[in-house]
Amino acid sequence: MFRRKRSAEDFAEEIKAHLEIEADDLRGEGLSGNEAYTKARRAFGNVGAARERFYLQGRLVWLDKLLRDLRFGLRSLAQSPGFTATAILTLALGIGANTAVFSVMNAVLLKSLPVSDPDRLVYLRTSNPPRGTGTVDTEETFSYPVYDALRREGKGLTPVMAYVPLSGSKVAVRVGAEPEEAEGDMVSGTFFSGLGVNLPLGRGFSEEDETNHSPLAVISYNYWTRRFTRDPDVLGKTMYVNAVPMTIVGVAGEGFEGVESGGSTDFWIPLQNRRELNAWGNPPEDGKLYMTDPTWWCLRMIGRLAPEVSRAQALAQLQPLFQTAAFIGLGGKPMEGEKPPLLGLADAKAFSGSYNTDYGRPLRMLMTMVGLVLLIALANVAMLLMARNAARQREFSVRQALGAGRGELLRQLLVESLILVTAGGALAWGFAETATRLLGRWAEIESSLAPDRTVLLFTLGVLLIAALLFGLAPLRVALAGRAELALKTSAATSNTDAGKSRMARMIVALQMTMCVVLLVGAGLLLRTMRNLQTTPLGMDVDGLVVFRVKPNIPSLAEGRAFYVNLTNKLRALPGVESVTVMEERIGSWWSNNSDLRVDGRLPNVANSASRTVRSNVVGPNFFHTLGVPVLSGRDFADSDNAASPLVGIINEQFAERFLPNVNPLGHTFGPDNVPVNVTIVGVVKDHKYRSIDEEPIPMAWYEYAEIPLVGPMDVEMRVHGDPLAILPSARKVVQQIDPNLPLIRPMTQRAQFDMTIAHQMMFARLAGFFGFLAVVLVATGLYGTLAYRVSLRTAEIGVRMAVGARRGQVVWMILKDSLMLTVAGVLMGVPLAMLVGRALTSSLYGVKPLDAFTYFTSVVGVAVVALAASAIPAGRAASVDPMRALRTE
Amino acid sequence: MTTQENSDDRIALLQGTLDLLILKTLVLGPCHGQGVARMIQRQSEDVFLVDHGSLYVALQRLEDRKWIRAKWGVSENNRKARFYSLTPKGREQLVEKTGEWRRLARAMGLILEPGGGFKGEEA
Repeated sequence: MFRRKRSAEDFAEEIKAHLEIEADDLRGEGLSGNEAYTKARRAFGNVGAARERFYLQGRLVWLDKLLRDLRFGLRSLAQSPGFTATAILTLALGIGANTAVFSVMNAVLLKSLPVSDPDRLVYLRTSNPPRGTGTVDTEETFSYPVYDALRREGKGLTPVMAYVPLSGSKVAVRVGAEPEEAEGDMVSGTFFSGLGVNLPLGRGFSEEDETNHSPLAVISYNYWTRRFTRDPDVLGKTMYVNAVPMTIVGVAGEGFEGVESGGSTDFWIPLQNRRELNAWGNPPEDGKLYMTDPTWWCLRMIGRLAPEVSRAQALAQLQPLFQTAAFIGLGGKPMEGEKPPLLGLADAKAFSGSYNTDYGRPLRMLMTMVGLVLLIALANVAMLLMARNAARQREFSVRQALGAGRGELLRQLLVESLILVTAGGALAWGFAETATRLLGRWAEIESSLAPDRTVLLFTLGVLLIAALLFGLAPLRVALAGRAELALKTSAATSNTDAGKSRMARMIVALQMTMCVVLLVGAGLLLRTMRNLQTTPLGMDVDGLVVFRVKPNIPSLAEGRAFYVNLTNKLRALPGVESVTVMEERIGSWWSNNSDLRVDGRLPNVANSASRTVRSNVVGPNFFHTLGVPVLSGRDFADSDNAASPLVGIINEQFAERFLPNVNPLGHTFGPDNVPVNVTIVGVVKDHKYRSIDEEPIPMAWYEYAEIPLVGPMDVEMRVHGDPLAILPSARKVVQQIDPNLPLIRPMTQRAQFDMTIAHQMMFARLAGFFGFLAVVLVATGLYGTLAYRVSLRTAEIGVRMAVGARRGQVVWMILKDSLMLTVAGVLMGVPLAMLVGRALTSSLYGVKPLDAFTYFTSVVGVAVVALAASAIPAGRAASVDPMRALRTE
Repeated sequence: MTTQENSDDRIALLQGTLDLLILKTLVLGPCHGQGVARMIQRQSEDVFLVDHGSLYVALQRLEDRKWIRAKWGVSENNRKARFYSLTPKGREQLVEKTGEWRRLARAMGLILEPGGGFKGEEA
């Protein structure tokens, strides 16, 4: 109905012709010319109504009206570009921030596993691993014998599936000629069938594939897209994983990238049993791989509840099996006084695990913060609209007087708000895309962050609420002006806004409340950031550079010789002060945790403190190189080697907890499961091991040349000048020994430690940004509202000044008003902020949730913003010329 | 109070009645709007006072439905006028609508004049 065959003009023409013919006829009947025409007209009736009916005929009336409203709305918004721009930008910032944070939250916390019936899936957890074992994660990983027993006899879960990465990061992969790196997991044969993963191409694995360790691979949809451009011929291709050939047999469904949150597994292979493909890429320990080593708890497990079986029933069936299997290869039963581990089942529907604690809480906090920002933004725009529409009261009155119905005014207001919200929403979406990418980088989320339907619905929901709010909020104001008002002056109406001004005051006060809350939250986190940055590490970290080498080690002796040779050659480089090696790189979150025997037995610990000790295997001059003070005894030296007596070094915490009130030198410690004791020859000052924000914990160090295990190690060098400048010559040294060895993850030790607080820093920066955004929004809102209210009182101020009020009095009158609002806002904000501070406790470092300084600064900040936003309108009010003010209307 | 009478008549003109009357008028040959109105009025012995606005809207509706077609021409007294004529589709509609109307009138007659029937009125 957009195109009409016939124009309204043509229709009018026809009616004109009708009237003329009719008049002719009437004249034929004897009437005079004029009389005939008048009668013809009278006989026709309402010509205008007929034309209108013709116009409306066959049109989508509502659409027609909407288009007219739209055109009118655009014109009217274009008339106040300042208002329009402010409103749209405010909306874009508020909604964009929410969409971005929600996208990430959706990807990380809300999205359920892309498998069939995820409600019936459970992660297997354990309360603690048995003594004498090593784990990857104390609560989430199991030994192969435990998996084997549960999958054979665990009737409550059908099936029980295991999965384990081939490396802590990526593994070497080659398809065709180009070598590359990818993330890969070894999985049970039942992995794809048990999870119910849809495979658009090829097949998954079978139980025989697991039993036979078949050389097969399934690749992820993402990897298929990225690496193979969705080539359907990928099936049957050979993929070399750590140089072991695997045949690609399937492609997993879109969105499936493993069952760990935020992970992005590129390919899966059945559980293997060969040296090159050990779990986590570790070297075999005592010649044992993960399948044959019951002391290495390294497999993650997930299971599907058997049909008609509840989680409690499944757990009851599995618990005795687990508690027996846990001690396979560990003496068959718990040691004396040892608590047997307890199996647990955790919801797998949504991702969980450590991801939740690392990102869940901060993300929820961020979501709350941006939610508050959104509230402030919405309130701002609503107030701007109210102010604008109050100023248009006269326009509304005139339109009502001319016959516009209330329905039409309402539609007009809704359409205007729709235009604002649409423009704001479009801008917000663009803003959100950028912000989401930044957030994704923060959370190191590699899985797809593209906004999906949930995010879109969320955003549209917010926009809809905004549109309704903005359409309806100013309605009362608009309709309050009845038609008669059109005839009165606006000065007469200026005292009718007492009611809505109370409403506006409340909104301003609430905005300040939220601003206080946001500023306190942001302030606490920013102080946390500062604390983290300035935390003493207990060592002199500047001038240190670190890189990892993965030499080919055919035998223990050759391995030791490699490191001795490498260390000596590196020391000889010009500018190098000292060199050492370590098994776990410090500041990388990795640590070896276990219970240690002290003087031959597990120590009794006062106040049932933990017996856990973090240990590391390091080279000579370790503490000297790091700059950690040796409090008593000595550092490791070149003379500590396979031939010398076994020696170890402990930190203060170790001495305090396990050897209180004695001189620790000369005492011994050793691993719980190996009958070896090393003699303590040194005590060093407490320093950071895994990360900057860790609490001091007992630590112990072995010397690498003395223990019967040697694998990849990190080399730490202290140099003069720029630490990174030494890397080229270090690389030359390494390649002289073995031309195939790259330097792995070379960086300064400072950068390595900084990575451990990168999350907190990013969180704090984001929080700071949102706090700042809130302040900006509140300031604009406040300024707009106050300026508007002052403008309404121009006449009143004129009168006051005409009857003798002084400038100061007028300014004070205006300032007093906003001060009272500030006080009210602060009074409400501080208790709320305290609640928020409590919720933030776990994210804080070195600052209390009730940090007085932060509260004080926030309150002062809000007050300053409020006063600044009032000062300008107040100054303007005071400079009003009384005569002009009175004459305005 | 002609308008009052008009509106009474319009109520009598049931939905679709005007369409039928227009079609019937046009059977005699092409005619402009004013002519159609006159003819209806005259043939109904001035019982039907046609509201001209409604007439033109109805003409437009029928044209949109392709039951009639229109062409600008010159009237007998040399005035420019828009002439309407029946299409084949319009003829079919006329037959159908006339049948419908007869059935309706008969049924109404049966109910209002039991035993009398439709023709009874002429007695």
